[in-house]
Parts: sequence; structure tokens; C-alpha cells
Amino acid sequence: MNKIIFFTSLFFVVLLNSCKKTQFSDFEPNTGTADFTNYISVGNSLTQGYQDEGLYEATQRNSYPALLAAQMRMVSPSMKTFVQPLAQGNGSGYRHLKYINGKIEVVSASDPGGYAADATWSNWGTQSAPGFYSNLGISGVRLVDCVALNTEQATINNIILNSINIPGFGSFGTNPFSRFLSFGQPPNTLTYLDHIKQSNATFFTCWLGNNDVLGYASGGGQDMTVAQMVENILGFPVPPFVLPPNIANYKAVGLSDPEEFRQKYDSVLLAFTSRGAKGVCATIPDVTSIPLFTTLTPDVIKEKLGVAEVWIQDGNSNVRAMTNDDMVLLNAITNIEENKHGNSAGNPILHTQVLDYSEVAAAKNHTIILNNHIKNTAKKYNVAVADMYEYMKTFEKGMKVDGIEFSVKYIEGGAFSLDAVHPNQRGYALVANEFIRTINQFYGSNLPLVETGKYKGIIFP
Amino acid sequence: MKILTILFSFSFYSVFAGGFQINMQSHKATGMGGAFSSICSDASSLFYNPGGMANLKGHQFTLGGTLISPAVSLRTKVYSNIDQTSKNSTPIHFYYSYRLKEKLNVGFGVNNQFGSSSSFEDTWQGRYIVQNISLKTFMFQPTVSYLLHEKISVGAGFVYTNGIFTYNKAIPVSSATTDYGTARLKGSGNSVGFNIGVHSNVYEKQGEKWNTKVGVAASYRSSLNLKLKKGTVEFADIPVSLQDKFPASQKFTSELTLPAVFTTGFNIKFTDADKYSIQFVYDFNYTFWSVYDTLAFDFENELTPDSKTAKEWKNSPTHRVGIDFTWKEKYSLRAGVYADQTPIQNGFVSPELPDNSHVGVTLGAGIKINETLSADFSFLRSSFERMNASLDAEGFTADYRRIVNVFGLGINIKLDKNEKKKESAPSID
Repeated sequence: MNKIIFFTSLFFVVLLNSCKKTQFSDFEPNTGTADFTNYISVGNSLTQGYQDEGLYEATQRNSYPALLAAQMRMVSPSMKTFVQPLAQGNGSGYRHLKYINGKIEVVSASDPGGYAADATWSNWGTQSAPGFYSNLGISGVRLVDCVALNTEQATINNIILNSINIPGFGSFGTNPFSRFLSFGQPPNTLTYLDHIKQSNATFFTCWLGNNDVLGYASGGGQDMTVAQMVENILGFPVPPFVLPPNIANYKAVGLSDPEEFRQKYDSVLLAFTSRGAKGVCATIPDVTSIPLFTTLTPDVIKEKLGVAEVWIQDGNSNVRAMTNDDMVLLNAITNIEENKHGNSAGNPILHTQVLDYSEVAAAKNHTIILNNHIKNTAKKYNVAVADMYEYMKTFEKGMKVDGIEFSVKYIEGGAFSLDAVHPNQRGYALVANEFIRTINQFYGSNLPLVETGKYKGIIFP
Repeated sequence: MKILTILFSFSFYSVFAGGFQINMQSHKATGMGGAFSSICSDASSLFYNPGGMANLKGHQFTLGGTLISPAVSLRTKVYSNIDQTSKNSTPIHFYYSYRLKEKLNVGFGVNNQFGSSSSFEDTWQGRYIVQNISLKTFMFQPTVSYLLHEKISVGAGFVYTNGIFTYNKAIPVSSATTDYGTARLKGSGNSVGFNIGVHSNVYEKQGEKWNTKVGVAASYRSSLNLKLKKGTVEFADIPVSLQDKFPASQKFTSELTLPAVFTTGFNIKFTDADKYSIQFVYDFNYTFWSVYDTLAFDFENELTPDSKTAKEWKNSPTHRVGIDFTWKEKYSLRAGVYADQTPIQNGFVSPELPDNSHVGVTLGAGIKINETLSADFSFLRSSFERMNASLDAEGFTADYRRIVNVFGLGINIKLDKNEKKKESAPSID
């Protein structure tokens, strides 16, 4: 009997010892060699949180810099609050999907039933002094607009970014999305670079440069001077006494000059790093891989028009048949569907809605050149590089994260928003994670990634 | 059959012997690392080696229950700790053997040879891969065994199996009011197979002090192809515009093949008459897991994207060794270890069933209460510390840590009064 007791007790001793837990409990927050105390983001629409052809509060709250800041706080709880210029409600207005007669339709802000600009939008933007906002992203801005190399450029940059606030009427300016920052009043103007310098950043992300290619591509491969732009808006040429020639001839849209780009990128990184900030730069994705250019393939247009050949105007306004190397912008969809653009040589798709193969090549080459400048400059200042150009390539093949499939397909692909250029919330989470991986690798920190699946992709009706 | 099904409708979990095979079909065997094919000293030989059943006298019953207590934790780059919420499970087994005639035994067994049940919080990071999944199988096995020769016996069982499969996951589509949709799949199917074996008490010698016995064995359990013909899938929380793609309810078909297992082994038993015996046992299993190459769901609705997941499991060997020390044929103490090579390749490790090649340890104890009744206890622990593994097809990577404790209790009943009477009669040989 003693033996039974012995065996039984031995048995239970073993049992109790073996009831060990499996939990992982050894996570130690670590900032590595980075200092996240004051995180500042600079960039364009991608950084500002723009999506669905609009800027509005819900998506700004999950802009990739906001997501990054939240993760930084996990390892650096005492970090400064990350302040963003939120545009209330519908903000500038945005696209959404509607289910009409068994079909999913894209409804623009200006369409009947569209999500038009919020009543508060015209007064949005507090024209704040440097040091107030943490997210300095400005939709539509080019790098070359941010830094001036001479007084002429300074004047033009101020015209592009500055706005006038007329009480009771709202703010007016070339770029409405920059209204949250003060650019001073001549002669005491402030530049974007001044905002960077006075931000006192300890850590920064810099994703500038996209519009230095995208603006050209999304206009169908067009260069445009200020005079041409104003003429397009007004419908008649502006006399020289209104617009001085040096301003009138400024190339406001087009591929930025590579050397000018390099110098200005250098100024931005110098401004941050000379004040002790560390950070991460991001390269420019291949703009021709986004749904704006990849959705309307020749086959898709042929099917829509019921024709065997699609006719386009190329960059030199010559009419010819579309090849597989030409790209038609998604914006052309209305003209194709309603005006049957492309169905004959006499009714081609407009050159402003076509990126012909030589323009495609120009945009691609230019992206590579600018990215080399970004990478070299980052290296010079010992700043990390998130290679968004390479990361976007993984989308082209299709990829999965936590069981969610992503591709570059419009709507179905799940990563891009309804404007076919900017990511949706889930896509921005992917972007944030690519930044985090880069930061962790370069600075030895252990920022947790963002849970991609927590953010909505396309919001279906 | 219906009563049995109700009796056995527990949830089963398995993480040992690789994949989702449940190898604890007798607690005497489990105590010895699960090596039993050459021993066959009770009715569980129906499972371990039908060839050994002819050695059993009279009516013999083996029945047992097992408590499987799993703990699995994950660490991802997003969350520093995620626990599976898988519950304990309690598979059971029942075997009966009867010596119908001299040299001929018949028997019947019911058990759960494969099973797996794991769950997570519904909102966990990998919800678009799996929220919870379970497979329950019931095997019913009528068996005959025949003594070919004084030292060699063979046996064969017909296996009827019934399996129930459920699988819930989230669908990554959102509307203004819903964050994600859900899919709930449920299906069942059945299949037939066989279990055959040969057993030999190849050597026996009565020495001065020791009686030495050697047994060898080989067995083969066939694969079982479960066809889930009329599965149903229910989609919920799907935006209106996508409901033609994900309708509220529809049928699906799928197929799940449970692998064949080949086993061979031997044992040596030294007995010092009336005092004690020591038995060493070794088994080698080879599980043909390569049949589990894909898990596909074919939906009736053409708009619903069919799901096909590459599993690419590999055939996997397991080595088992065990020892039994029995005092005066009454008290037994057992121990064993097994080395299990995982069938799952890295790149294919799914969060519901993380597996790694590992060594498991077992302990056991037995007591013979009287000539009729004996009881066995077993304990098994299978664990691995921190494995980093990925499921490439779903874009999911995690560190895993797993501990599974298994407690078992079984009893054996021998009713061989008739056999005792016959024992006095001269042997036919």
C-alpha cells in the first residue's frame, strides 16, 4: 500500500510541476539609438492622411504618421503629443461607394449624393506658427515648393503655399491643404523649411518627392507653367502686368529638375539633422504602378467601347492606336463611358488623360533618379531609408498580411483608396509598418507593428 | 452507434505524434512513450497492432479517458503575447477482445485517432486566417486476429470512421457599420480503411534467474479519406453589395485525408519469477502525412472565391522508447520518451497548430487490483520553447511556445475463467 501512495504522490508532484505557463512576458520597450520625444513628419498628401480624393478627420486620425506616433508612445511614453490639423467631418469632401441597381459605383464629392466638403472646411486651417503641429504633411506639395534656392523661388513658394484668410469668407490660396501652417506675410515670410527648423524634432519622417513625379504623370505627362495653369482656370491668358514673367514662366507642374531636387532634399535633411534629429526618409513609389494608371488597360477599354482598337492622343497630340505600354488614366472613365472617347481615330482619348509609353518611361526613369538622390542624401546624413519604391513592387505581385490579401487592383486590391492614388486606412497601416521595420532595423528600437487588420480597407456599401 | 456518438462528442485536441494524430489509445502504452505494438498485453492491441490480439485470453476490455490540457502562446511583431483560448479536451477509447476459438480472437474498438481543436479570441490578429477550428473523428473497428503459429499471430481490422470538421474565420471586408465579415464552415464525412498487423513472441528463454522474452511486431493503419460532401458555410456581417459573392448560406465540398501509419517495434522483458519484471520497448512510427498537401474548399456559388491552402506536410518518423518495471505482477511504474519529427515545414506553420520536432516524456503507473481488474495512469508532456515560424501563404509569422500536459486513466477487465479451465487441456500444437 505504501508503494501505491508513493507512486501516486510522485505522479502528482510531476503533474503540478508541469503546469507551467507559456506566455511570453519578456517584452522590454526599447528606443534603440533613436529619440522619439518629439516626432515630426514632413511630406505631402500621403503624410497628411489624404485618401478617397479628400482630406477628412476619420482618415487623418489614422494617417501613417499618427499610427507611427502611437507605436512610438508604446516604447517612449513621455513623448510629446502628436498634433495634427484635423479637418472636421467630411473635411474637403471625399469619394465613397454606393450600391446602385446591383452595381458598386464610385460617387465623387461633387456628385449628387456625394460626400461634399464639410461646412467648416473653408475655415479649416489655423495658420499656426512653427512648432505647433507635429504632422507637417501638405497635400499636393512638391519638394521643390518647400525649399527656395533663390528669392524668386521664395516668392513663388510663398504664393503656392500661403493663403489669405478673409473673415466670414474663409481662406483662399493656391493650395488649400497648407492653410494650417503660417507662411507669414511679405516681406516677413516663413518657408516650409522654417517650420522644419523650428519644430525641434528629435525624430522625423520625410516622405517628400512623390508629387515631383506624380503631378507630371497624373496630368498625362504635362509640364505646365504658372501662366498656363492660371489660363486653364480662367479661360484666357493673364496679362504680364498681373503676372510677372519670372513667375508666369515658373514650371508649376512637371518633372522636377534632378539637381534642384537633390539640393533641396539636402536642405531638408540638413535642417533636421543639424539640430540633432534622427529620422527616416522614404523613397518615391513607381507612380505608374498605382491603380490610377493600371486600371484602364487596352483590353478593359476595348470591352467598354466594344471596339477592336483604342485610339489615343499621345504626348505630342498625335492620334494613334493604344499599345500595351501606353497608360490611360482612370480619370478618363467618364469620357470613355459617356463620350466614347477612344472608339475611333476621330474621337481619341485626350492626351491629358494618356501617359504614352515615352511619358511612362520618363516618369519611371525620373523616379529612379530622384530615389537615388534620396538614398544618397540620407546616407550622407546617416538617416534611415524606407524603400517604398521596392515595397510597392511587392503589391504588384499580390501579397498577404495576416491573412488579408492585397494587390494594386482598384477597389478589389484592398490597399488603395477610391482615388486610385492614395492608400486606404489599411494601406496606410501597411505603410506605417514599413516605416517601423526600417526604424527598428536602423536604430535598434523595437516599435511594435500596427495591426493591419484592425483598419478598414475599402468601405463597401 | 448513435449512443456512442453522443458519448464521444467531446472536443479533441492533439499536438503530439505530429500533426493532429492522437496516439494515447491505452494508458499502459502512453506511460511507455506510446510504444506498444510488440507488447499487446491488453485489448488496446486492436489499435496498436491487431496482430497481437490473438494472444489475449477470454473476454478483455480496455477503456480509458484522457484529459488533454494545451497551452499555446504566440508573439508577433504586433503583440508581445497572444494566447490560444483552446479548451481542454477529453478523448476516450474502448476496446474489447474475445477469444472466440482456440487461436482465433475477435474484437471491437472505438476511439478517436485524429482530432484537433484550437481557438483564439474572435478579434485576434490572425482572425482572417482562423478564429477557431476543430476536427473530431470517431473510429469504429471490428477486428479478427489469428494465431498462425505458436509464436506468430496476425490480425486485421476494418475501420469505419466518421469525422466532423468546423472552421470559423473572419473575412476582410468592411462596411460603414461592420469591421469584418465572418465565415463559418461545418461539414462531416465518413470513410473506411483497415488496420493490419503481425506479432511474434520470437524468443523466450528460461534462465537460471531470469526468464527472457522478446517480442517483435509490425502494423499498418491505412489512410482514411474523409469527403465532406454536404458542408455548409454561413457568411455573416457581409456588406450588402458583396452578398452575391458571400451569400448567407451555401454548400461546400472538401476533402481531408487522414494519413496511414506504419509501425514496427520490439520489446525485451526480463522476469524474475514472483518478484519483478523489467521490460524495454521500442517502436518506430512512420506517418504518411504527405497526403495532407492541400486543404481546399469548393463553394457551390460560383462567385464565392474557392479557398485552397497549401499544407505540403511531409511524411514523418517517430521513435518511441519505454520501460516498465512491475513488482510482483501487481504494481507497475513506467516511463518513456519519444522523438517526434514534425510533418510541418517552416513556411507552412499555421497558428492553430504550431508544431516543431520535439521530444516528449511520459510517465505511467499501473496496479493490478485482482485477476479481473487493473488500472493504469499515464502522464505525457509535450512542449517546445520558442519556435519562430511562418505561414507564408497568409503572411503570418510568430514565435510560438507550447506546453501540452496529458493525463490519462484507464482500466482493464479480464474475464477468462473459461480460458483457465482450458489451460489444463493439452495444447493443439
